[in-house]
Amino acid sequence: MQDNTVLFEIKDLCKDFGKLHVLDHINTTISKGEVVVIVGPSGSGKSTFLRSLNLLERPTGGTIYFEGRDITDPKCDINMHRQKIGMVFQHFNLFPHKTILENMTLAPIKVLKKSKTEAEAKAMELLKRVGLEEKANAYPAQLSGGQKQRIAIVRSLCMDPDVMLFDEPTSALDPEMVGEVLNVMRDLAKGGMTMAIVTHEMGFAKEVGTRVMFIDEGQIKEENTPQEFFDNPQNERLKEFLSKVL
Amino acid sequence: MTDFKAKFILNFIEDNRWRYITEGLGTTFIVTIFAILLGTALGFLVAVIRSTADKNDKNPVVIHILDGICKVYLTVIRGTPAMIQLLIMYYIVFTSPDISKRFVAILTFGINSGAYVAEIVRSGIMSIDNGQFEAGRSLGFNYVQTMMYIIAPQAFKNILPALANEFITLLKETSICGYIALTDITHGANVIRSQTYEPMMPLLAAAFIYLAVVSLLSAGVSKLERRLRTDAR
Repeated sequence: MQDNTVLFEIKDLCKDFGKLHVLDHINTTISKGEVVVIVGPSGSGKSTFLRSLNLLERPTGGTIYFEGRDITDPKCDINMHRQKIGMVFQHFNLFPHKTILENMTLAPIKVLKKSKTEAEAKAMELLKRVGLEEKANAYPAQLSGGQKQRIAIVRSLCMDPDVMLFDEPTSALDPEMVGEVLNVMRDLAKGGMTMAIVTHEMGFAKEVGTRVMFIDEGQIKEENTPQEFFDNPQNERLKEFLSKVL
Repeated sequence: MTDFKAKFILNFIEDNRWRYITEGLGTTFIVTIFAILLGTALGFLVAVIRSTADKNDKNPVVIHILDGICKVYLTVIRGTPAMIQLLIMYYIVFTSPDISKRFVAILTFGINSGAYVAEIVRSGIMSIDNGQFEAGRSLGFNYVQTMMYIIAPQAFKNILPALANEFITLLKETSICGYIALTDITHGANVIRSQTYEPMMPLLAAAFIYLAVVSLLSAGVSKLERRLRTDAR
């Protein structure tokens, strides 16, 4: 599934909050079809790294190329690129004043200028895929956490993104609801979607990831195939981390 | 009872004195409605500038300058009594005797109310979780679209009670129009009092009219609130 088209090229990415170096010269690439799972202790900078990829966090140094364009260039129209970068948040961030269907069609209609019927047809098809078509006219407050997160995922998919970013998508869920969200993500990965996932679900990382990345103190301390990463870790901090979470 | 009837005729019927009240009511309405429109427009503008400046850590110089102007506006308007503002507007800003008094009142109360509306709207914008903003931006909406489609509708629902409160205050504040000899309800009632030397009837009538208008307004707002609330369930 993986071809060698580079989607993200990250060069010397730095982010400082005052004197604190949250990201310290990160260098990596994400290619089409890859499922990159990012793990690390809390406060390590992994979420900041992910959020830098669509510039929700403005880097203080370095460059990020997305599909060959330097998106950290102030002259670059980031809104155009964000249409191609889906994002799923820990707290879902569905729009509470809109129905599920409106949540999903708002951006395609207003940003992509799709017709209402076209946008709704696409949304209904995606809702069917995650088994929530009967919730189309419900409001987010009427849904469970797992359902909300599945909606959040398909809301992003309505924009036909080239890559999906997941920022701890299951961390705010009741344990019994984690599975249904991971299933949707697993299907996405099987379908060839390029994904970058910050998560604490190590089993999922092992199973679905094509590459696992360990971030600590704002640096990528180790990245490898899941097999090597979990069975044969090199970095001391990673060994310690894995011994605590596995 | 005959006494009441006589007083009523004296205060309202004789010399067509009721017209002071109806004319006053018209003025109060016009001044209040246009001041609300002006104040809301001004308030939204100031609120968006202020919260844009607060939300982003790096702003273009234009935003800084606009934010500075807004801060001065808020400080001056909220720091001085509306009556002084009205007198300054009438006697110092517009010195021409030909100027419409209603216009002066609308302008004064609009500018005055705008400062309060601005802070109410800003509190509404700030009350929306930043995740909503991020979700909007990550879907490709620009700043203005995110404000318009995602933040503003939710903020509006939250600030409706405070906004209604401000409009009620504004309506009652127009009772100082008499200081520039503009006949609103209060001034009309006072004129009747000065002609008939009968304070009770005209003043109570004025009070009752304010009460009725405010009650109607409140009822309308709670109806709107209920409608918006069921939407989100």
